[in-house]
This record gives sequence, C-alpha cells and structure tokens, in this order.
Amino acid sequence: MKEKFDLLSTIEYGGCSAKLPAGLLSEVLGKLPLVKDPRLLVDLETHDDAGVYKLNEETALIFTTDFFPPICSDAYEFGEISAANALSDIYAMGGTPLMALNLMMFSQERIPLDVFGQILEGGQAKVREAGALVAGGHTIDDHPPKYGLAVVGTVHPDHLITNAGARPNDVLLLTKAIGTGALVSGQKNGLCSEGDYRLALEQMKQLNRHASALAVKYHVRGMTDITGFALAGHAMKMAEASRVSFRIHSLQVPLLPGAYQVFEKGSIPGATFRNLEFTGEQAHFARSVDYNIKMLLHDAQTSGGLLLAVNPDHAASLLSDLNRLDPEISAMEIGEVIPESPRRLYFE
Amino acid sequence: MKTLDTRGLLCPKPLIMLKEALQEMDAGDALRVETDNDTSLKNLLTYLKDQGIEPEVSSAGAVHTLLLTAPEKDLSASNPAAYCSSDLPRDYVVCIKREVMGDGDPELGKVLLETFVENLKLQEQLPSHVVLYNGGVKLAMKSSPLCSSLVELEELGTRIMLCGTCVDHYGIQLDIGVGMISNMVVLTETLASAGHVVTP
Repeated sequence: MKEKFDLLSTIEYGGCSAKLPAGLLSEVLGKLPLVKDPRLLVDLETHDDAGVYKLNEETALIFTTDFFPPICSDAYEFGEISAANALSDIYAMGGTPLMALNLMMFSQERIPLDVFGQILEGGQAKVREAGALVAGGHTIDDHPPKYGLAVVGTVHPDHLITNAGARPNDVLLLTKAIGTGALVSGQKNGLCSEGDYRLALEQMKQLNRHASALAVKYHVRGMTDITGFALAGHAMKMAEASRVSFRIHSLQVPLLPGAYQVFEKGSIPGATFRNLEFTGEQAHFARSVDYNIKMLLHDAQTSGGLLLAVNPDHAASLLSDLNRLDPEISAMEIGEVIPESPRRLYFE
Repeated sequence: MKTLDTRGLLCPKPLIMLKEALQEMDAGDALRVETDNDTSLKNLLTYLKDQGIEPEVSSAGAVHTLLLTAPEKDLSASNPAAYCSSDLPRDYVVCIKREVMGDGDPELGKVLLETFVENLKLQEQLPSHVVLYNGGVKLAMKSSPLCSSLVELEELGTRIMLCGTCVDHYGIQLDIGVGMISNMVVLTETLASAGHVVTP
C-alpha cells in the first residue's frame, strides 16, 4: 500500500490565515471605482460576504467565492472544509445555495493525481449536503495547491441579511466556537491533543445551513460569517456597516477545547497579529480580559460560525432551536449591540 | 546571559521559545533573542509590549537582536481564575453625575473635577469603570477639557461608560469623543457589582 499524501507538507500556512491583511486589502479596494447600480443590493462598500443582484421582486442572486491552501493533511477533508467555507458566504446572507464551480490550483508533477480527485470528492459531498449542485470548474497548474468554489444562491430580496442590519439592543449570537487557527497551529507544533484537533476539523466541516435558516425564520437583519479576519475583525466590519458598536463578553465566547492552551504556549499564528493590527484602536479591552483570550478573539477562523444580531425577544428561541438542530456545535449569546460609540468593539 | 537563537525559524516558533524561556527565568534575569525574520520580530515586539516588557533592539544585516529583562511573574496573566482571587483589592467604580465637583462656585467645580480626573490615572489601582450620567456625559464630548484624560484612562484599560438616555437627552451623540454608550440596565449592573463606588 502506498503512503498517504500529507497535504500540509506542501505549505507554510493554510486556510483563511493565507488571506491578505485586511488593512492592505481595504487600501487596494478603496482605489477601485465603486460600482453602483440599483440592481446590486449588496456591493463592496459594506465589506459584505457576497455580491447580491436583484433579479425581480421575488428573487435576488447571491454570488460568492473563496479558496485557500490546505488546512489539513487529508485531501477529502480539505475538500469538505473548503466547500463548507465557500458555501458559508451564501448562508451568511440568509440565502440558499444552488450551484457551485470548483476552483483548483494543483500541480500533478508534485502531488499524486488521486489527491486531486479526493479533494473534489470531499467538496462535492459537502455541496450535495447543502442541497446544491457542482456544475464544473477550472483547474490550473500551481503549487502549493489551492482549492475552493464559486457559489451562486438565491434569497428573497426582503429576507436578505447583511452586515449593515444590526440595531442597538439586538443580542449577538455566535454559532460556532472559535480557535480553529490556534488548533491548526498547535497541531503543527505538537502543542495540542489529536482529539482537540479532530474536534476543530469536524467543526470546520459543519455547514452553517441551520443557523442561516433560523436567522431567516426569526427575522434577523444583521449577520456575517467568521473567517480569516477573526471574530474581532468581522464583528468590527459588521458594526461599522451597521453604524453601531458591539459590547462582547469575552468569557461567554465559546472556545474550542485546547485552543487556549495552544496560545498559552505561545503558538500564536502570524494572522492573529495581523488581525490585532486591523482592529487596532477600534477594539477596547477591559483590564480584566485575559491576554490569550484577547489573542483568540483575533484568531483567524476557517469555516467559522455565523455572528447574528437578533431581536432580544427572539434570541432565546433561536438559540434553543439551533442547539436542537446542531447539537454538536456550541452556539452562545456573546454580547449586545449598543449605540454607535467612539470605538466599534468593547470587550468585557 | 541566556541566548535564544531563533534564526531560520518562522512564526510562531520564536514566540513559543520566548514564552518557554520567560517561564523558566527569574525576575531580573537577562535574555537575548535573535531572529532573522521581520514578521517574527514584529510579533515578538507586539507580544512583549503587551506584557509590559520593553526590549532593546539592535540589527546587524538581516539579524535582529532583542535584549530584555524578565519581569516579576504575574500569575494572573496565565491564570484567568487569579483575577477572582480574594486577596486582590476589590475593583472600584468612579461615578460622575455632573459637570462639576462639589457645591458652590461652578467655575471652581469644573477645575476641581478636571484635576480629579487627571489624578485618577496616576492612582496605583485604577478604577475598573468610570460611569458618567446626566450632566456628567458632557465630560466625554470631544470639546470637553476632560476628554483627553478620559481617553488616557481608557487606554489603560478602564471602561468609560456613558448613559445613553442622557447622551440622547442632550443631543450630543455625534460629539462624543470617548466611552461606550450604554443603557441603565448595564449601568445599574456595573454600579451594583462594584467593590465600591467613588463619587466625586
């Protein structure tokens, strides 16, 4: 039997921590002319998760893409995680995914060809689980490999959920624990248990489908998904787009088991420092907030959960519905929306 | 002096080594860290600064050298539960309800309050919160002479809290320069759970 190919051997860093620093990205995008059209319901301006195009009064098209280098050793799992992550942008807008195209960069000279097939199989299985179809794709020769998808979905224009919909007094819910970046780094440096790492992988594969459907059911107006810019970075962008501030109780933010210990041992990925720089003065930390927790709030997530701003009257029902549908992930109430204050984020 | 050679190693390896070394050192021990990676250097410096350690940095070619002294061991930094330990002094909250301090001449009252807030940041134990309500919220306006002192306190980790109803009442939301705009539920909770409340 031939030895199993380890995808992680191809890269220095992976997943969403491979993103360009957010500040740098804003600088570049800020120079592009902003396309304005009444049919574009969501554009670049609010740093939202996807583009949204209104087809008619009943239907708007959501279009998004995401791809990255390997986040784990196993090819099939990498496909699953990357697909769950790409589909998440559709879910973050309250939409339903319909169709996806594979985007693959792969060098057959450096990696056995069956690895290519396994990545696609994993991706396809996840897309199928989401009730959508893979309709083709595009591959170019490149190393290290990268995989992701472009996904289209639909949403009723009146039920569209954006970064800009959070209102003061809304309750903030986070649907997955944070710490995937920490555990990937911990696994690479031998600083976390195999069990804790496995749990992080399983969580990354989890679709945000149920959380998204419940957000629609409970008329949530403000939502985003947590990926490379970390909970703090995405929360900041959402507060900014909604012209409000967030108060977040850091001890209520669910952490993946083992993530704290990885940071305590100093295995803090570079992406965490980049995200810390990105939130900068916009994030205020009460003196009681533990240093490693502050860093975990800036830990880049791959296929993270959804952050919802929900009417306080609906928060408890939404949370209990979600915990019934997705018992294996730990959704929590983590804070509340407050009026626009001099800073975007206040961590207790 | 102990030397950590992290040359050729990429983030986060150097930081893992630094944390290990710091844990084994006694307060006052000197440590020398070498790195040839700019990102690692930046991240090491960010980490050290957050721990209150100011290393001396020198560079020769591509190699950067950090010289630092191990600080007093702060157990609370690695153990969240230590924050709750009962032998630490209880937190206190400063509650300011007017633009002036004391009764009598309001001009004098303004000067007194200004001096009080300036002195607050010099206290060995800083307040966990400063709560501003009614006329007190005007102190957080960008035009207020106290705004910069309150910003400094905030930078030091004190949470400045403003009564949102009061900010609305005076119509100054756009002029607020510091603090988290809050509601009475949160203010009541903050005052009620304070170790003690200081009201100038």
